[in-house]
Amino acid sequence: MDVLFDGFVDAVELLLSGDEDSWTIIALTLRVSLTATAIALLVGLPLGAIVALARFPGRRVLLAAANTGMGMPPVVVGLFVTVLLWRSGPLGGLGLLYTPTAMIVAQAAIATPVVIALVAAALQQVDPDFRVQMQALGANRVRAFAALLGEARLPLFAGTMAAFGAVVSEVGAAQMVGGNLVGQTRVLTTAAVLATSRGQFSLAIAFGLILLLIAFGVNLSLTLVQQQRAVPR
Amino acid sequence: MRAGDRELLSVPELDVASGRTLAVLGPNGAGKSTLLRALGLLSSHRVSGVILLDGRPATRPLMRHAITAVLQRPILRRGTVAANVISGLRFRGMSRREARLRAWPWMEALGLVPFADRDIRSLSIGEAQRVSITRALAVGPKVLLLDEPFTGLDSTTRADLIADLRAALSGQPTATILVTHDRQEALALAEDTALLIGGRIRQHGPTTEVLDHPSDADTARLLGYTNLLPPALTGRTHPLVARPEHTHLILDPSDGPAGQRDDDVRPVPGTLRRTVALGIATRVDVDTAGGPLTCLHPGDLPGTSLPPVGGDVRVRVRQARALAGVDGNGWTAGLGSRPSAS
Repeated sequence: MDVLFDGFVDAVELLLSGDEDSWTIIALTLRVSLTATAIALLVGLPLGAIVALARFPGRRVLLAAANTGMGMPPVVVGLFVTVLLWRSGPLGGLGLLYTPTAMIVAQAAIATPVVIALVAAALQQVDPDFRVQMQALGANRVRAFAALLGEARLPLFAGTMAAFGAVVSEVGAAQMVGGNLVGQTRVLTTAAVLATSRGQFSLAIAFGLILLLIAFGVNLSLTLVQQQRAVPR
Repeated sequence: MRAGDRELLSVPELDVASGRTLAVLGPNGAGKSTLLRALGLLSSHRVSGVILLDGRPATRPLMRHAITAVLQRPILRRGTVAANVISGLRFRGMSRREARLRAWPWMEALGLVPFADRDIRSLSIGEAQRVSITRALAVGPKVLLLDEPFTGLDSTTRADLIADLRAALSGQPTATILVTHDRQEALALAEDTALLIGGRIRQHGPTTEVLDHPSDADTARLLGYTNLLPPALTGRTHPLVARPEHTHLILDPSDGPAGQRDDDVRPVPGTLRRTVALGIATRVDVDTAGGPLTCLHPGDLPGTSLPPVGGDVRVRVRQARALAGVDGNGWTAGLGSRPSAS
């Protein structure tokens, strides 16, 4: 129990002390995971909408693939991204391995299937004639689609939170493509793994707590937006 | 209008004047909703032909501005009743305040003011459809498209909503197209009616005339003329059709054979198959040489006045209509073997 208690104390001290190394780790964690989530949304939202609304051969197979992707182990994604970015690999010339960019790419690859699958489910639960009805009230196609997104905002925000949760908590891909280089690619999860392996349990717990705090902060913001009145008076 | 190689709908011409209502009456699967969506340029199917709005070819932006539609299921947005009612006006770029001012008289006319701030999730299906109709009217559309909006409502709600809609539309310059399978709705709301069967318009004219003058077996069935009397049974040139409520057993043997009206038919002999008490009426099924007939007698028929099942009866048919477009030769009565007229 002492270890746990010390961990809490260390976490508070770490946060209050303004330790530069810790803040670098926190900032990088936020930057990598938020950017990866944003990219996953940019890619996944249109793809999820197409899978949900368009009719084409192979649509269900694509949806099944996205659903499978939701459970993809980050280590596997990390492995593929590492191979791609390896010096002798197809994208080795870019020199991205062991950089935050590589971590963003890997995490975006983890989050995109989550976004596609949950966007598709979110849009499909709205009445199939919803867009026709909106157009039949004077909305053009873009506004009708925007209205559809507004109608599905609760599950869409839930999907965004799930995507962020998947990347901020993963360690396998961040470790493999980032390399856990201090001051460069060390994020909270990899830092916690390292601290644990060195027996610095209270430090590891401190990182864990900060990670939880960040996840809570981001999700609280999203939840507040999600729960706003849908159609303002 | 086609989906792939399949022709869904073929309508040479259909016009609605502003201030008037056209009912498109048809059975399930006739293509009514498909037609309505095609007219509103809301369809995803391939449509060929022209849609004219005020005499000019309608483009999507023009049409979007001119029409509103009420679909069979009320599709409302999350939020309050008032927010939904103004949403058509908001799509047209109006400020929330202005839209509320414009929509308020419609909310009053349709009795929605007490519901204004209610969450739409707490509404009954009838209330939700009322919101959907008010939302469509609030825009003041040139063309109002109604896609079976009263289906699935209980009879009281339906009657109230039909009356309120009729009152709201009177004096408005809106051209309304109502698709429905219910001829009472057509009668209550529309000056003109077109009968759509199998993707084609079979009849088109003033509602009272169209509803009372079927031209072929399909339209007869649609209009409630479900009793079919082949020429062999009546001695007339053309097949006749009649409504069950105008078809009665002759219970008093002294009843004279001749009817009072030209469209009455000489009594038809047959055998009684069954009687079913329906509360407000009694249904009597009779088999004749020309096929089965259904009689509908108002109220309860005392069992003592009826012959036994299998006994001989005579049936009087009043207000029969001749299917002048159908050739009497080769006509075989019976539900499964009616000739399909075109």
